Amino acid sequence: MAGPHLKFASLHDVELCTHAATGERRAFGELVRRHGSAVRGVLRRMGAQPAEADDVAQDAFLAAFEGIAEFRGEGAFASWVKKIAARLYLRRLQKDRRLGALSVEAAEEEGPDADGRIDLDEALKALGLAERLCVTLCYGAGVSHAEAAEALNLPLGTVKSHVKRGLEKLRTRLAPSTGVDLSGRRGNG
Amino acid sequence: MAEIDFERRLERLFDSSPEMPDAAGFAERIERRLNAGWTARRWLIGAAGVVGGVIGASQLMLSNVFQRVETASDSARLLSSGVARIAPKADWISAISGGGGVVWIAASAAVLMMAFVLTRVIGEI
Repeated sequence: MAGPHLKFASLHDVELCTHAATGERRAFGELVRRHGSAVRGVLRRMGAQPAEADDVAQDAFLAAFEGIAEFRGEGAFASWVKKIAARLYLRRLQKDRRLGALSVEAAEEEGPDADGRIDLDEALKALGLAERLCVTLCYGAGVSHAEAAEALNLPLGTVKSHVKRGLEKLRTRLAPSTGVDLSGRRGNG
Repeated sequence: MAEIDFERRLERLFDSSPEMPDAAGFAERIERRLNAGWTARRWLIGAAGVVGGVIGASQLMLSNVFQRVETASDSARLLSSGVARIAPKADWISAISGGGGVVWIAASAAVLMMAFVLTRVIGEI
């Protein structure tokens, strides 16, 4: 029964999206096979537990299928679904009142890793929830600072501060040997 | 430019998330949900079409449309007999208007058409 999947496996994402827009669910399944891990990964990096990340990712893909006709192919399909997933996860956090103390939450302070490089997932654990959400939204889900501020219901300046502090911590942990000043951040919002 | 380099590196790190061991299973779960939703939708559309057809048929019955058509066919019969007197070979009008069977066939076709149209419209929505 692998025949239909093999047929779609050779197609480009844009072609798969075109098929999916006509209701071809197997084409969409191929897209999920390709990008499911990336979407689930972003949610986990935002701080979601694996089971919750999978739930939200499923909802995001189902929402993407429903709205696939709106996807113009201007960006990557994975980026589009990551944004949907990130917004759904934030909505869930807001609904469960887990974002209540976000703006005043103190970040977990951990010193640089003396052993040198560590992977991104480990490095993200050193960030507070607000920093982690802001950094992952902006660099993992491709959300602008302004969009992140709106989604998190925080002032734009606060989001930029969280991003800046989060990046400083990440830089320290990902490459302890380089201590370059991170001021003057790229403004993508 | 070091911070830009770091940001690019960070974006690459975010993009290079490893394939999860249950990636295939995850995709299958979503396909199953999509298929289940699609089946439910088809049943819903079919049911809505049938209900629409039944409502359409009952409205036709209630509006005495058949009685009106019978009256119209009587008038056509009178007309055809008049025409036959003038031109005896023009009996095609009576062929069209003859019998109530035609009326029922037309009504059934209308109901089927209505159900089909409703099904299509709901499907598009």
